[in-house]
Amino acid sequence: MSEEGQMSTKNTDKDSFAVQGKLALPYTYFAGRVGSKFLTTIRDQKKIMGTKCPTCGKVYLPPRQVCQKDFTDIRNNWVDVGSSGTVVNFTVVRYEDRHLARKPPYVIAMIKLDGADTPMAHILDGLKPEDVKKGMRVEAVFAEKTTTTILDIDHFKPEAERAKTGWRPKAARKPYVPEPESGIEDKRRGGKPDMSKPVIICAALAGAATMKNQTPAVPYTPSEFAEDAYKCWKAGAAMVHVHAREDNGMPTHDHERIRTTHDAIKQRCPELIVNLSSAVGMGKTAEQRISQIVAVKPEMASLNTNTMNFSLLDRKSGKIFIDFVFENTFTMLQDFGKAMEENGVKPEIEVYDMGGLDNTMLIAKQGFFTNPMNFNFVWGVAGGQAFRVETFVALMNALPAKANFTTCGVGLDQFPAIMQSGILGGHMRVGLEDNIRMPDGELAKGSWEQVEVAVHAAECLGRGVATPDEARAIMGIHKR
Amino acid sequence: MAHGKKNRNVGIIGIGQTRHSSHREDVNQPEMIHEAIAAALKDAGLTMKDVDCIVHGNMELFEMIHQPDLWHTLGTGAGGKDTFRLTTGGTVGITLACASDNLVASGMYDIVMAIGFEKLQEGHTTGGITNMADPLWFRNLQTGALTGSKAYDLIYEFGEERAKKVSMTYRIIMDKHAGLNPNAHRSFGLDFAQADDLIKNSPKLVGDLKLIEMCSQSDGACAVIFACEKRAKELSKKPVWVRDHITVHREEVFNIFGYDDKYPAAQTQRFAAENLYTRNGITKPLEYFDVFEMYDPASWWGVDWFRDFMLLKGDEAVKLVEDHEIMIGGKMPVNPSGGVIASNPIGATALLRMAEAALQVRGDAGAHQIPKPVKHALASGFGGTMWTVLMMLEKELNWQEA
Ligand SMILES: [Zn+2]
Repeated sequence: MSEEGQMSTKNTDKDSFAVQGKLALPYTYFAGRVGSKFLTTIRDQKKIMGTKCPTCGKVYLPPRQVCQKDFTDIRNNWVDVGSSGTVVNFTVVRYEDRHLARKPPYVIAMIKLDGADTPMAHILDGLKPEDVKKGMRVEAVFAEKTTTTILDIDHFKPEAERAKTGWRPKAARKPYVPEPESGIEDKRRGGKPDMSKPVIICAALAGAATMKNQTPAVPYTPSEFAEDAYKCWKAGAAMVHVHAREDNGMPTHDHERIRTTHDAIKQRCPELIVNLSSAVGMGKTAEQRISQIVAVKPEMASLNTNTMNFSLLDRKSGKIFIDFVFENTFTMLQDFGKAMEENGVKPEIEVYDMGGLDNTMLIAKQGFFTNPMNFNFVWGVAGGQAFRVETFVALMNALPAKANFTTCGVGLDQFPAIMQSGILGGHMRVGLEDNIRMPDGELAKGSWEQVEVAVHAAECLGRGVATPDEARAIMGIHKR
Repeated sequence: MAHGKKNRNVGIIGIGQTRHSSHREDVNQPEMIHEAIAAALKDAGLTMKDVDCIVHGNMELFEMIHQPDLWHTLGTGAGGKDTFRLTTGGTVGITLACASDNLVASGMYDIVMAIGFEKLQEGHTTGGITNMADPLWFRNLQTGALTGSKAYDLIYEFGEERAKKVSMTYRIIMDKHAGLNPNAHRSFGLDFAQADDLIKNSPKLVGDLKLIEMCSQSDGACAVIFACEKRAKELSKKPVWVRDHITVHREEVFNIFGYDDKYPAAQTQRFAAENLYTRNGITKPLEYFDVFEMYDPASWWGVDWFRDFMLLKGDEAVKLVEDHEIMIGGKMPVNPSGGVIASNPIGATALLRMAEAALQVRGDAGAHQIPKPVKHALASGFGGTMWTVLMMLEKELNWQEA
């Protein structure tokens, strides 16, 4: 204890003195292991963690060593919580005092972070006090300079629009009404793109190759698929593209597993279009690939158009990791296409290069494809074409009348490809099957986060986002 | 909650308090305490020799002195006697009463004196309160003892106009009561006609909590003497019996601004009331009790906690306030003394609630005595992070027969 300032006496009352003094009290507080981990994780990883009670299931934030309810020792049971949350309650500090954290007026809010059961207090900034509401969404802003205190979360601010999950974009536009007589050729007169249709956003949730060691957000189980699909729908997707997986992540052709996965998605989100893969995964036979489609009868399924290399190469050195030939003979193109059309499954025709498109148009002469045909331009597969703007335009110009097109790009090609598609009047596919990252290089929290990017792009173009029913109308899909 | 039966009955036989004011520069701490002690001994007709044990309490750190019980020996008369120092935050005053009751009921001592005091002018209240905050999570964000979310909650529940009006009505009632209590620190002579003006013009502290609605910072002390049934009957014409008390503590600082419906922590006010009444067979506290001295740090809390302590629902409590039924002469008089908003020497504050309730039972409250006979009184303490202590007082020893 140190003593500062001068002792003095002051005559404050007729005959009574008050002794004036001042004490400065430095202190040290030991954070403990639980508190230390909480603070250093925020400091070093900009990540907020709580402790979860296995007995009652409560997630405590800030973390505690024992559960308040049942006294269970929870010190080692760490869980991640989000850095966004909801305002549970708040107060506005209006009086001024030296000890206060900010100059008044400022807001202190009780914020319950996503995944936590207890709210924590922090400063809420970036809005006027009169605009704070219970229930509003906020996100943490981490301090630029660490002090290894709770102020390594500098403050919370209203959640940015981009991260506003859980709400489909508002349809402030007229519903799309199809014009059956007009094809793309009529609409693109004079080289102008037809941007009259809202953008159909498809989320490719998993693919056959994206594994949890690359991103924990990739779904394996039916319930994970269902939850992920629901989030994508909430974010603005009209369709999800699905390769079913076993619990260990291996792609499967097992009818029961595929049906369970398909049905779980439909049950969680009945409105959504489910598009199943007829590629399934490496090394599957033609029979394994098509019989599951016929058995489950999704509203849409992928149809592959040429035999090609479909390999895994190091993009920097060109070194081959896995070499694989993806077999799609004319016979398969014909048989798969027929099986789909006969079973009311709309084919999504996968175009890995111009040859695939030409192959399709040759087989199409048999006349079993129903209009409109729906093409997906795929970019960046090791064995297919890389994304180029001229190639995109060439593919589009080679399409038959009335056809629709969407696009997907592997890795870095994902976002540029959907941008170009958007500008040319086409549609967009995103998702962890094609790319596990966001435009800024961060891991995507889920396919839904990439859907948000697509939504933003579509809205920037003034096209709006198609509802699943609008997507059906555009693509000629019959709802099941 | 397991709760044993009392070993023997305990009666309150002496009550003393100082006048409460913002500045008691005419006395130092032991001298101020001595005023309350002398008054309590005089009230009981005892001398210091008759007292077996002293239980001493205040807010730790508020006066910036260590071991105040030793500093105060001259004032308390504890020299050569068994002494305990308790400090439980805002509840400490009534915790002193609970401890004294337990010490006498156990048979350990026949006569125990509780002494609670505070000279808030001498210390730094916000400094003390800030020390309560967990340095890891909350100290950087503390706003002192002020919280505004209860105002927000009531506005959210009852609408802005009604909520603000009922809070101010409660405040004016407390001011009117304080005007009748010569020991009260603050009484402005407010009238109901001023409500709208005060709502508009009183400076806001935190949220919609206004300066006029917040409790004072006071200097003052209170002393109460407890005796076993045998001694109480010998020494006092009208002992007031301590029937039962309950203390509910809870984690944690973060909840101080409010709580989530789904959050596992219960509100301590209602939790304490429900448990205390259940084990005493009381189903309608509003009918049973004749008077209630409530620890009300601000008028917003007063309105809301009155609902909890009386086990009322919806706007029943709001209506009682609006209809002035909490005034002296109303259905359930709350704080005839003026309550905490009028006087708040913190370490004494919760003991004053019990002392004032006991004076009402005795019929000795003077100008603020309620007009109907008081058989059953309730007193509450509040502190820490929403801790609650509730104590029931009785005029007769007849409840055990039932
Ligand atoms: Zn638990």
